[in-house]
Amino acid sequence: MILSVENVSLAFGGVRALQEVSFDVQEHEVRAIIGPNGAGKSSMLNVLNGVYHPQTGKIRFRGEEFTDMESHRAAAMGIARTFQNIALFKGMTVLDNIMTGRNLKMRCSFLHQALWLGPAKREELEHRRAVEEIIDFLEIQHIRKTPVGRLPYGLQKRVELGRALAAEPKLLLLDEPMAGMNLEEKQDMCRFILDVNEQFGTTIVLIEHDMGVVMDISNRVVVLDYGRKIADGTPEEVRNNQRVIDAYLGVAH
Amino acid sequence: MLYREAGQFKSSYAEDQQIFPIRQDRIAMGVLLAVAFVVLPLAGNEYWLSAILTPLLIFALAALGLNILTGYAGQLSLGTAAFMAVGAFMAYNFVLRMPWLGILPSFILAGLCAAAVGVVFGLPSLRIKGFYLAVATLACQFFVLWAIQRIGWFTNYSSSGVITAQQVVILGVPFDTPARKYLFTLTVVALMALAAKNLMRSETGRAFMAVRDMDVAASVIGIPMMKTKLLAFAISSFYCGVAGALHAFAYLGTVEPEAYSLELSFNILFMIVIGGAGSILGSFLGAAFITLFPIFLNLASDWLQNVTGIEIQHAVVSNLRVIIFGALIIFFLIVEPLGLARLWQITKEKLRLWPFPH
Repeated sequence: MILSVENVSLAFGGVRALQEVSFDVQEHEVRAIIGPNGAGKSSMLNVLNGVYHPQTGKIRFRGEEFTDMESHRAAAMGIARTFQNIALFKGMTVLDNIMTGRNLKMRCSFLHQALWLGPAKREELEHRRAVEEIIDFLEIQHIRKTPVGRLPYGLQKRVELGRALAAEPKLLLLDEPMAGMNLEEKQDMCRFILDVNEQFGTTIVLIEHDMGVVMDISNRVVVLDYGRKIADGTPEEVRNNQRVIDAYLGVAH
Repeated sequence: MLYREAGQFKSSYAEDQQIFPIRQDRIAMGVLLAVAFVVLPLAGNEYWLSAILTPLLIFALAALGLNILTGYAGQLSLGTAAFMAVGAFMAYNFVLRMPWLGILPSFILAGLCAAAVGVVFGLPSLRIKGFYLAVATLACQFFVLWAIQRIGWFTNYSSSGVITAQQVVILGVPFDTPARKYLFTLTVVALMALAAKNLMRSETGRAFMAVRDMDVAASVIGIPMMKTKLLAFAISSFYCGVAGALHAFAYLGTVEPEAYSLELSFNILFMIVIGGAGSILGSFLGAAFITLFPIFLNLASDWLQNVTGIEIQHAVVSNLRVIIFGALIIFFLIVEPLGLARLWQITKEKLRLWPFPH
C-alpha cells in the first residue's frame, strides 16, 4: 500500500467539501476517483499534495504519516500532479517547462549557475538528457522549443503530463487528464497513462468524467458524492452499485 | 539570405544549449564586442564616451537588475533607484573606511548591501502581489533616500549631503580618463550580463519564470516560493547596487542623494517596458533607446531649424521628449508588451525564412 487516506474532512467555512473520506491506493495500480460535479474530487487531490489542508484525518504515504502537507514537501516525497485547467508556465518553452519538473533533483547553487562552471553545466546537460527521454516518450519532439502558450490544448495537456513525469514521481495525480479532448487525443492520453504505469511502475490516481475511459484503464474506483464516499471497488462493482447509479441519475423523491 | 542555420547540425546537448546556437549570431556578437571594446574607446570622442556611452551601460545594468526581478520573476518594483543609491553610497563608504579593500571588492560588498536591503523590502512579496507590492517597494524608495539624507554616516558628515566618489584605481592603474572609465564600466557590465544570461538559462532562471507564470503550479512541483522570491530580490538588488556604484564612480563623480529619486526608478522601469521584460537584450535595447532618443531628438530639431529656418525652442524639444516617451510606453504596452527585444526576435525569425517564407 503506497497511500492511505483515513477519515479526511475538509471544510471551507460552512461548505463541507469532504466528510470522513477514507480509501487506499495500492502500489502500482491505476486508481480512479469519480463523482458528479462538486463531489469533492479535486479537493481530494488538493489535500493529497498539500494545496489544501484538511481539518481532520490522516494521510499515510509510503509509511510516513501526516495531517498537514506542504505542497513542496509533497513534491519532494515523490507526489506529482497535473491540473484540471492546465497550469503550465505559459511564457516558457516546452523544454523549459519540463525541465522545471526536475528542479528538486538539481543541486548546484546559483553562483555555479551564474558562472556556468563545470558542475552546473554538467548537471544541466544530464537533466536535459533525462528530459529528452520524456519528450521522446510523449512524442513531442517537434515542439520542444515552442513557447507553451502557442500550443493547442491537447498538446498542452501532454506537456503538463511531461512536467509531472520529469520529477520521476512515485505517485502521479491526474486531474481530468482528458477533459476537452477529442476521441483520438483521449486514446493517445490513455495510452500514455497506461505506458507510464507499466514502464515506470508509477502509481496513478486520476479523476475523470469519461466513464468509458475510467472503466477501461483503472484497476479500482472510488466514488464521491457531496463530499462523502459512496462506493469503492473494481469498475465492475461500481458500475452495478445502486447508490452510484442514484447519484449520477438522481432518484425520485 | 545570409541569416540561415541550414547546414549547422548540433550533435550534442551542449551545442544546442549555447547562448547563441546560430553561427551568424555568434559572429555578430563577436563583432559587437570588438567594436565596443576596441573601436569605440579609440575612435569615440570624450563627450560621447563620458556623457552617453558610459551612462548608457550603467543604466542598462540597472535595467538588467530590474528585469531579473520584474521581467523574469514577475515581482513589480519601484525601488530600483533606492538600490542604486545603497550601492553608490556604500561603495563610497567601503572605499573611504576600508581603503585596503580595493575598488572591486568594495563594489561587490556594496552590491551585497543593496541585496540585503532588497531582501528586507522583498519580504512583503511573500504575501502581496502586483500593484500592492509596487507600493511596498515605493516605501523602500522613500525610506532609503530619507536614511541617506538624514544619517550623516552615509555621506561622511558632509555638510551639503553630497559625496565625491574616490578615483577608481585597480592594481595601480588609475581609471581617470573618459575612455578608461568607459572600458571599466563596459567590462563590469559585460561580465555581469553574461552571468545573468547563464543564471536565467539554468535552474534559477526557470524557477523565477515559473513563479512569474503560475505560482501555485510552481510550488506544487517543488519550487520553494519564499527562497525563490527572496533570491530574485537579492540578485536584482545586487545588480542595481553595482550599477549604482558605477554610476557614482565612473559617471557622476560628485553624487547627491537626490540623484536617486523616484524619477530614476520610473525611467529604469520604462527602459524594461520599451526594451522588453524578461529579456537580457531588452535591458540593453531599452537603456539605449531612452538614453539615445533625446539626443536624436535634439539633432533632428537642429536639422529642422537649419532646413526650415524656423526657430525651435529648447523647452519645446524637451516637452516633446516627454510626450513621445509617454506615447511610446502606451504603444508598447498595448501592441508589443515584450518590447523591442520581441520585435528583434520576430525580425530574426522572419529573416531565417526570407525571401522564401514557405
